[in-house]
Amino acid sequence: MTPTLPEILRGNFMSLAQPPTAEMAGDFMTARVGVIALLNLLAAQEAARGMAAVVAENDAIEQILIAAKSDAVSCPRPGDIYTPAEFDARNAALRSALIELHAAAEARGDHATDRRILALYVTTAAGRRLELPPLPG
Amino acid sequence: MSIDAQIAAYLMRLWAAPVEVADLSRIPGGASRETYRFDATADGRTRHLILRRDPTGSLIDTDRRIEFQAYRTAFGRLPVPEPIAFEPEGAELERPFFLMERIDGGIVASPFSAAPFGQYAQEIGEAFFRHLGTLAAIDPAATPLGKIMPTPAPDTCWQVALDHWATVIDTDEAHPQPIVRAAIRRLRAHPPPPAQAVRIVHGDYRSGNIMHDGAGGILAILDWEMTHLGDPIEDLGWAFDPMWNHFDEGAVCGMIPRDRAIAIWEKASGLTVDPVALRWWSLFNAVKGQAIWTSAAREYRAGGCVDPVLGISGWYTARRHDEILADQLIAFAEVNS
Repeated sequence: MTPTLPEILRGNFMSLAQPPTAEMAGDFMTARVGVIALLNLLAAQEAARGMAAVVAENDAIEQILIAAKSDAVSCPRPGDIYTPAEFDARNAALRSALIELHAAAEARGDHATDRRILALYVTTAAGRRLELPPLPG
Repeated sequence: MSIDAQIAAYLMRLWAAPVEVADLSRIPGGASRETYRFDATADGRTRHLILRRDPTGSLIDTDRRIEFQAYRTAFGRLPVPEPIAFEPEGAELERPFFLMERIDGGIVASPFSAAPFGQYAQEIGEAFFRHLGTLAAIDPAATPLGKIMPTPAPDTCWQVALDHWATVIDTDEAHPQPIVRAAIRRLRAHPPPPAQAVRIVHGDYRSGNIMHDGAGGILAILDWEMTHLGDPIEDLGWAFDPMWNHFDEGAVCGMIPRDRAIAIWEKASGLTVDPVALRWWSLFNAVKGQAIWTSAAREYRAGGCVDPVLGISGWYTARRHDEILADQLIAFAEVNS
């Protein structure tokens, strides 16, 4: 998924390290620092549970692909993967295969597979959720 | 040359008089334009102005000429700042920009805030949807905007809009997005009824794009950069998106219940809201949102990840819209199987 957690954290550092111009002083910088703080809050959530969400999503997609092998949709073969970037790359491959599978199921009117995949979308989207606390008005 | 000196040089040429620029500061918020406030004094008269200039990286790639003509069209009909000047080539400011009068003393709600309108939510909500209905009642043909924008046929509004945002996703996507892809296919397979009328669509009509006075009044409707001609139900679908509900599922835009909003809009516009059309445009708007966040992520990374507004747009809001899309896909499938 993009942006990645390292990109967010590096970006926050770069945002704060850049000296503001004169016209950025005041409300603009206050708001900018507030958004950086929010990104840090969300980054903490992602560090705590983001990898688990990716692994769960990859497993769930793989199960659906395996169950639908008769659709001739290729299921990417797992390799030895250890890093977040490798899990993310595998997620991209699995998602591409899922898109293909879903489009094929729709095309032939396979409602059962369609509903199974729609339910998967709800689960995986919830798994990736970042919780933003309500801010004061 | 500093920005204030550039502005002064431009205004001196425009007004053919010496100009003093003071109190220049950048305004937080939008990531699709750089927005500055300043005062300009010429011939003893001080004008309070806003500069909207194209950034080097943008959340949305839009035509600033359209935004300027949208303000010209709305001025006098709706609460908007008066547009002053437009420079498509950038002139002294090097990048395309336009100037408009500044409306002071207002509050713009953050989309991430809870209950931003407090005890005035109902009053503001009624005005908010009445203004949107007023916009939908305008015949665009004779307006400045209507003269420069293509007018789609009523039965192609949906296709023009969907093709546009699907192309944005095709162009900017860095990681496969099965949920929004499924939504695009579903929308194509089940088109909405033709538009009752082709009207001006604000394109980003939501709680964070109005300025209110903190006492129940709307001072200005802002950010017309995505304005186009199309099905006016599109704006309702966007305003009703859960992304903008301020953590209140019982109120659209954190203001009033959905049914009340529809009734006010119908009365002001003279049009009716077909539930089938609204369902289609609601799912469409979730696709549109995801397209915007996909572009934000691309711009964020391309710019070295230094703009936190692009960062949060391409990350938090993208994931939030995936959840919204997934929920709406289930509901859409239940009535379109």
